[in-house]
Amino acid sequence: MTSPSSPDSPRPRGISPADLALALAVVALGVFFLVETFSIDVNPGYARVGPRFFPLLVSFGLLGVGAWLTVGALRGERAEPAAEEDADPDAPINWRSVGWISLGVLAQVLLLDRAGFVVSSALLFWLGARGFHSDRPLRDLAVAVVLSVVVYVAFTRGLGLTLPPGVLRGVL
Amino acid sequence: METLTALLGGFETALTPQNLLFALIGAVLGTAVGVLPGIGPALTVALLLPVTLKMPPVSAFIMFAGIYYGAMFGGSTTSILLKTPGESASIVTAMEGNQMARRGRGAAALATAAIGSFLAGTIGTLALTFAAPAMVTFALKFGPAEYFALTVLAFTAVSALLGSSPLRGLVSLFFGLGLGLVGTDLQTGQARFDLGRPELLDGIDVVTVVVGLFAVGETLYVASKLRGVQDAVMTFRGRVGMTRADWARSWKPWLRGTLLGFPFGALPAGGAEMPTFLSYLLEKRLSRHKDEFGKGAIEGVAGPEAANNAAAAGVLVPLLSLGLPTSATAAILLAAFQQYGLQPGPLLFQSNPALVWGLIASLYVGNVMLLVLNLPLAKVWVRLLEIPRPLLYGGILVFATLGVYSLNSSVFDLVLLYLIGLAGFAMRRFDIPVAPAIVGMILGPIAEQQFRRALAISQGEYSVFLTRPLSAVILVLVALVLVGPPVARWWAARRAARAGEPSRT
Repeated sequence: MTSPSSPDSPRPRGISPADLALALAVVALGVFFLVETFSIDVNPGYARVGPRFFPLLVSFGLLGVGAWLTVGALRGERAEPAAEEDADPDAPINWRSVGWISLGVLAQVLLLDRAGFVVSSALLFWLGARGFHSDRPLRDLAVAVVLSVVVYVAFTRGLGLTLPPGVLRGVL
Repeated sequence: METLTALLGGFETALTPQNLLFALIGAVLGTAVGVLPGIGPALTVALLLPVTLKMPPVSAFIMFAGIYYGAMFGGSTTSILLKTPGESASIVTAMEGNQMARRGRGAAALATAAIGSFLAGTIGTLALTFAAPAMVTFALKFGPAEYFALTVLAFTAVSALLGSSPLRGLVSLFFGLGLGLVGTDLQTGQARFDLGRPELLDGIDVVTVVVGLFAVGETLYVASKLRGVQDAVMTFRGRVGMTRADWARSWKPWLRGTLLGFPFGALPAGGAEMPTFLSYLLEKRLSRHKDEFGKGAIEGVAGPEAANNAAAAGVLVPLLSLGLPTSATAAILLAAFQQYGLQPGPLLFQSNPALVWGLIASLYVGNVMLLVLNLPLAKVWVRLLEIPRPLLYGGILVFATLGVYSLNSSVFDLVLLYLIGLAGFAMRRFDIPVAPAIVGMILGPIAEQQFRRALAISQGEYSVFLTRPLSAVILVLVALVLVGPPVARWWAARRAARAGEPSRT
């Protein structure tokens, strides 16, 4: 399989900013790990191979693959987005959908302890469905509430897990 | 003989009503997640880890085994009846099986996939039954140096042989190794990469990483590139079954696929992708119906599906006998063992035979259940594909956050989950495979431990990895995995050039 991005067939298409950004992000991750490695306390004379040795290997590994990616990106290589069920790899990224889902997770993070599992999960479900271009908000809301309540009851009563009841304390 | 006695003991464990029930739950869940897009076996096992903590380990693993095998069965249903390819191992099934379904032969395609999966799964489990104890006898001689060399082999195989390029596999691997470093160093008690957060002192939980990379990453990616129209599910008439001619054309591909798949899984050669593809090419070459390939040849479904399942059985050999995971699902199974304070490997066969053999016996049982669940009930499973995507992915998000929150009842973990999910999104966008990160995260700490132990024993002599013969042999294998494919390509290019054809490279 020869994809347009394979190194065998470099096409003069110029540098892809996204691919370059990814490569630099990997380099940055390597730098981060390297800097953090040197802040690990080492007890001298404890062992020949201390707690810094493996982190050093991983840092250099990240820097190495990051540099390799950067060279490739500068030569105009670009990655093919993955083919998944339900996804069209050639479609442009719909950032609005990413935003809806991120908002949903944010709601779960901010509201879970305060408003309780049922409220925050129903909101996450509903916002997630928005991200998938749902055109039936009321149906989504109904499913969201039913699913959250059923899961809450099943997990707290059936499996004995603790989930925050929030505003529904005493109701469920 | 010893093995058979042990296996019989395993059946005693697996056939108790309670464990039969868990096997059934696993088989049903596995088939369902295999059919559904957006959710797979690794994610399912990860989400169940917090729930199973209070269960007896045997029952939990019997359920996980059902999920592991069941997802293979379910996956083939989806790839036959939906046009879009799902996981890479079923791409070839998607090509031929989907063509068969278009020509009104969907029922036969589903049948040859299910029966082939059953046959390959059973023969593969049989091979596992005898290969694992043999491997254990061998593995008892291993010291830390050998174990370290083996982990390097697993790292290399999973990152260099999977995915589109070794570089992208290595990016994923080092990312995973980095995640695995976070937390307190086990040997010295020093905090590493904790960023001053007490929540990170215990390390990042495997569940958070798996759920983030798979569930959140996948949801973000699919939403960002959602197909305008949901793929139509192919319909088929009548019962799922095959004609006499279908049987005649299927049985040899089943067996050949099994023979091809098992060794690929058992030697840490990187999962099911390669054997399914090789099986497809082999069947195409051997078939008397070459013209049908690409238009729905039953051999092209039978062979690869068998190879796929046999490889899945093979992956369990290094996992159980050496503690070496070579796929994402195997890695999360290793994490499940660790959750119970168990370490798969030669010692587990001695210290906990009831667990190991109960698990192996349940694989036979699970396979029979899966055949029964998938042949007559295919139409029921197909209906799962009709779930509207907004509801499906909304549900996945709720279960993802629920599973991760229930680890420590901490919202901090949800923030971590989202960040790792963003990484998973980027990995899909930039064609970086996810499996090496999972294997690296789970196996990395073990590799480090064995490395430091080996050096403690050798009193700091780094040459220990090369002077111990077994360790040296394994490291030579690592070199072959790294150097082999490029050399093979160079050789092929040279031969093509000699044959007078202009080489493209």
